[in-house]
Amino acid sequence: MKVLTLVMLLCYSFAFSSGDTTIHTNNWAVLVCTSRFWFNYRHMANTLSLYRTVKRLGIPDERIILMLADDMACNARNEYPAQVFNNENHKLNLYGDNVEVDYRGYEVTVENFLRVLTGRHENAVPRSKRLLSDEGSHILLYMTGHGGDEFLKFQDAEELQSHDLADAVKQMKEKRRFKELMIMVDTCQAATLFNQLQSPDVLAIGSSLKGENSYSHHLDSDVGVSVVDRFTYYTLAFFERLNIYDNASLNSLFRSYDPKLLMSTAYYRTDLYQPHLAEVPVTNFFGSVMETLHTDSVYKAFSSKTSNNKINSEMPLNQLSEHDELQKANIQNDELKTEKQKCPYTQMRVDLHKKLEKLENVDTVVNLGIAVMLLVVMVSSSLL
Amino acid sequence: MACLVRSWIPLLFLQSFLVAIAFGSNEGEEFSEELLLKPLPDRKVLAHFHFENRAPPSNSHGRNHHLFPKAISQLVQKFRVKEMELSFTQGRWNHEHWGGFDPLSSMNAKPVGVELWAVFDVPQSQVDISWKNLTHALSGLFCASINFLESSTSYAAPTWGFGTNSDKLRYGSLPREAVCTENLTPWLKLLPCRDKDGISALMNRPSVYRGFYHSQRLHLSTVESGQEGLGSGIVLEQTLTVVIQPETTSVETNMQPSWSLSSLFGRKVVGSCVLAKSSNVYLQLEGRLGHESKNVDTEIEAHKLWMNSDFDLSLKPDRVIRESSSLLFIFDIDKSSDSEPFDLGLTWKLPSKWSCEQAPLHASRFLMGSGNERGAIAILLKATESQEKLSGRNLTTDGRCTIKANIFQIFPWYIKVYYHTLQIFVDQQQKTDSEVLKKINVSPSTDKVSSGMLEMMLELPCEVKSAAISIEYDKGFLHIDEYPPDANQGFDIPSALISFPSHHASLDFQEELSKSPLLSSFKEKSLVRSYTEVLLVPLTTPDFSMPYNVITITCTIFALYFGSLLNVLRRRIGEEERFLKSQAGKKRGGLKQLLSRLTAKIRGRPIEAPSSESPAAESSFLSSKLIFKIILVAGAAAAWQYFSTDK
Repeated sequence: MKVLTLVMLLCYSFAFSSGDTTIHTNNWAVLVCTSRFWFNYRHMANTLSLYRTVKRLGIPDERIILMLADDMACNARNEYPAQVFNNENHKLNLYGDNVEVDYRGYEVTVENFLRVLTGRHENAVPRSKRLLSDEGSHILLYMTGHGGDEFLKFQDAEELQSHDLADAVKQMKEKRRFKELMIMVDTCQAATLFNQLQSPDVLAIGSSLKGENSYSHHLDSDVGVSVVDRFTYYTLAFFERLNIYDNASLNSLFRSYDPKLLMSTAYYRTDLYQPHLAEVPVTNFFGSVMETLHTDSVYKAFSSKTSNNKINSEMPLNQLSEHDELQKANIQNDELKTEKQKCPYTQMRVDLHKKLEKLENVDTVVNLGIAVMLLVVMVSSSLL
Repeated sequence: MACLVRSWIPLLFLQSFLVAIAFGSNEGEEFSEELLLKPLPDRKVLAHFHFENRAPPSNSHGRNHHLFPKAISQLVQKFRVKEMELSFTQGRWNHEHWGGFDPLSSMNAKPVGVELWAVFDVPQSQVDISWKNLTHALSGLFCASINFLESSTSYAAPTWGFGTNSDKLRYGSLPREAVCTENLTPWLKLLPCRDKDGISALMNRPSVYRGFYHSQRLHLSTVESGQEGLGSGIVLEQTLTVVIQPETTSVETNMQPSWSLSSLFGRKVVGSCVLAKSSNVYLQLEGRLGHESKNVDTEIEAHKLWMNSDFDLSLKPDRVIRESSSLLFIFDIDKSSDSEPFDLGLTWKLPSKWSCEQAPLHASRFLMGSGNERGAIAILLKATESQEKLSGRNLTTDGRCTIKANIFQIFPWYIKVYYHTLQIFVDQQQKTDSEVLKKINVSPSTDKVSSGMLEMMLELPCEVKSAAISIEYDKGFLHIDEYPPDANQGFDIPSALISFPSHHASLDFQEELSKSPLLSSFKEKSLVRSYTEVLLVPLTTPDFSMPYNVITITCTIFALYFGSLLNVLRRRIGEEERFLKSQAGKKRGGLKQLLSRLTAKIRGRPIEAPSSESPAAESSFLSSKLIFKIILVAGAAAAWQYFSTDK
């Protein structure tokens, strides 16, 4: 029994290592404005600016979950009905003609937010309100509102704590709901919200350190309130210069933040994120730019050797071993693969088996295994 | 190559077959777009967009959709919706100036926020489940929090008070739901031309939402085909009613403002939606009958109608239709193009005044009482001018003239209504129930489970000046988690619906107009109904820091009280002084002793002796203790091992 559990543990470790090599297939964005009331206009403008940016850079509406805690556009206090501005020059109407708000008003709660992240919904909840990401997804999570030391207020009534966020992210990672996740937070003391994060492949960026405030950028005297926060304003200033074909890296984004202009220190947490930031384009998270795989013919994608190698280099490790079979029967293999994708445990077992076959001296492995078994038996008997 | 050609031939056949099918089903689907413009007596302009989409009955294998939105037909299929209406409204319909006794107001004057009702074609036990799923689906489709209607505390099942008699009807409304662009956009996406072409291109969001009133409505009903093996057809009716104040430069206050489509919406119509079967614009002028002669046969007469001393139209109408009290100009926008956009304008030359026909009784609702404990709701029905005209219509069997009024009202559970306190006053005199109350149906609310519902039918004498209904209630307490984030704002009681079952509104066009869905719907008799305002009830709101304050203050008081009480009871001042004295004496004696000992030690024996001896003894004692402990633990472990292996 113990051995079996050991083997299973090994399997899991292999499974995780294979999960890391999944190719990036889609992009999602969860944009959250957590503040209610008219004087928090700027938070909604922040969120809508990001919404516009990610839409412009290629993420379609059905892959954006937009949560707005209040209605500012058609608010009775808004002198410009159905319009939201993030600059006093009023050149750009963020609300536009085609905005899809998925959660709004009283629906923006900590519970719903965590449900969206973890994917635990009631059956009746429509697809447009779900984050249907998978293990090939890059997710951008943007949150703005009023925060403090390790918390973010929702609607002035609830709090999202850093533990809650970390738990949700952990659960997402375990459920393979993302390949890479970028959390961007524009609140006071935003950096503290990332303190509890442990899951790998998570990149976090906050507008201010502990003890610092995040300030608004400027006041629009026609609207009557501040219209944008400094951090978001300079983020947008960076993105307005880009289009979908630009190759600007995350590093250049991070370097564009000037503490003097922000009046706070932007904080990046990169210890959970492996790739080098200078090599990661911002469109990995803020846009939807996919790598295209060239195939020579329409249906016989795996028949020619060159394309085969090319694809395999970007395929998960577990499919490398099937290289030989691929050439023999394409259709059968396709079926097999889909089957394998459905059942991760059998896939793991097959992988392990293949790995064992590859080993040159089987005897040492067997001997080692026996030694380990003996040790385990000794330990277990002495414990019992 | 030959192989390729061979494989193409069946494909071509298939394609032609598919095309045939496609065109076959396309014949049945019909879409029409219409816009009705109507100047209102209070210097505003009403614009009523009407889009109708009809899907013919299809077989059970599903249907091919060309014009009809797939999302809606799936909705109908999945939840077995027989009839459904969803409306998003902001602003309040002004019954006095905008009319209360015409088909337009009875169908399109809606309560603030979201209103949804649906009739299902499922067994009685599944109606609530279908309703719940429908609310979720609609909330995803229209970007609104309609899913809040799923909980049983927010909807009701009206029996007869709503006007539609069905036991599979569910009704709910959300008075506080915001209505904005995100609701209009998905609604527009259901149209075949969206807002890109045709009449719907006029819908510039800022000008729509700047208006005094906007109501966006979606009504769908299934039409039974009656044939075996065929499903039912669907009629989808989408309307948007906007009341806009035209910008005016004239200083004269009694002059009606002149307007054009481009000044109202900032856009022009550059052509009809090519997918529409008919695209028409109507202009309805009320109260124009006294000025012109009755017969409009000659060309000059017709010309006089649209270009006269009173007003000018910028375009020549294609047809003019008379109604009993109004004129209807019909424009076909098919002729407009990019170079010659359709921009209808109306210029007033002389001050003009008219009034709208009103419902027999004007309804309003208000709250009575003060404080956070109890109150009362009152509904006031006041006679309007049009009542004299109507009287004599509804004679009962015993010769009395009466007006029937249905009142339908939902109470949230935290408004605990005492139905026995229902009082009815007619012309300031209290009446007993049997005198005026013809029918009543009450379903009381259950705390946190279901909402209360009141349906009643009043039969009032025709010469009534005013009638008032009052009912008392207690305010309930919510659980601390149930309060919304802005609880201080108060809680909304949904609008009450007042309908007049014996009055029907219809426009009586003298000509047969079966082609236009809008006009034919106006010709049909519709129930006269009006919604009252939403009430805002302040409830006791929680102060989340209060428990903490209470705990700290109580603890402080307790500590102070008990501390001082104990002090007073237990303290004996004489005793204490004596004790203190003795303590002081002892201390001094002890010190002296210590000093004397020290001096003795320094003089006589060496100092290290006692100090070096005791730690050694202590360490040996300690080590023995340690060894004992280790032995004990080892023994226990051995015994455990022995017994466990024995087993």
